[in-house]
Amino acid sequence: MSEDDSQRIEAYLSKVRRSLRGMKDQDVREIIDELRSHVLDKAPAGLDTALASLGSPEELARQYVTDDLLARAEVSRSPLRILDSLFRWASLSAAGFFVLLGSIGGYFLGAASILCALLKPFFPRNTGLWVIPDGAGDSEISLRLGLSGAPPDGRELLGWWIIPIGLTVGCALVILTTRFALWCVRQYRRSRVPVHV
Amino acid sequence: MKEHDPESVDKWEVQLRKGCLELAILAALWDGKLYGLEILRRLESASDLIVSEGTVYPLLSRLKAMGLVESEWVESDAGHPRKYYALTPAGKQRGREMAAMWTRFSASMSRLLAPLGKGKKESHVGR
Repeated sequence: MSEDDSQRIEAYLSKVRRSLRGMKDQDVREIIDELRSHVLDKAPAGLDTALASLGSPEELARQYVTDDLLARAEVSRSPLRILDSLFRWASLSAAGFFVLLGSIGGYFLGAASILCALLKPFFPRNTGLWVIPDGAGDSEISLRLGLSGAPPDGRELLGWWIIPIGLTVGCALVILTTRFALWCVRQYRRSRVPVHV
Repeated sequence: MKEHDPESVDKWEVQLRKGCLELAILAALWDGKLYGLEILRRLESASDLIVSEGTVYPLLSRLKAMGLVESEWVESDAGHPRKYYALTPAGKQRGREMAAMWTRFSASMSRLLAPLGKGKKESHVGR
């Protein structure tokens, strides 16, 4: 094999390597070594064809990265790790973006409910769930975390019950959001086996 | 009346092939270990599944992450090592289950589809 061919192979593999950011070093080495071995096997029949058959280095790396982050999310039970994986998934596909939006909403509401329950003993007068009339006959429901004063015309809905209810609802939202995110990840992983015919 | 769309048949075929790919790779590895290029050649020669080369490697990596295959590097006469894949016990179990399901499903579909193969002359809808 000529020096020029070797340089072209390494240039292709460097592009793949750059696009595999975020994966473990050992996994990246295995992937690059395997692709090099594949190209070397096919190069005698034509290096151009060998490289073209693998597709663009960025797209090839994207398949590995997506699988890797979805696999990590699937075995994770930590909301932070799941959100981290979802952020990366969202940067790769529209499906990931919508799952991320839904998950952020669920985790935010869950965290707010738990926080409200935990802050109630320290800021009993301005932490809780209020119903606030808007003057036009309608009313607005507001969850206050003790950061601002209690609404003057508002009526507190739950009182001290916000503690058990906030904890229960908050934990349930976090668990349901985690299950929702993991379910979406599993469905997406099962559906994404591309094949060219 | 809506016209027949050939593209929708093509899309259906792609989905059908997608669903078979995992089983096809497990079946290709049934007789022993193979490296990536051999798996591609086995799929092409033993079935009409033509898988893009840029697809099979990430897929093998995924099957490995799922514990269905294992891999090892083996030195070759070509002067560079090759990564060989072999089925794990879990992969064999999965392959057997999928093959049994496939056999049942294809047999029942064949019975259902038998009248369609007899030609347009005989196919009619009674009114």
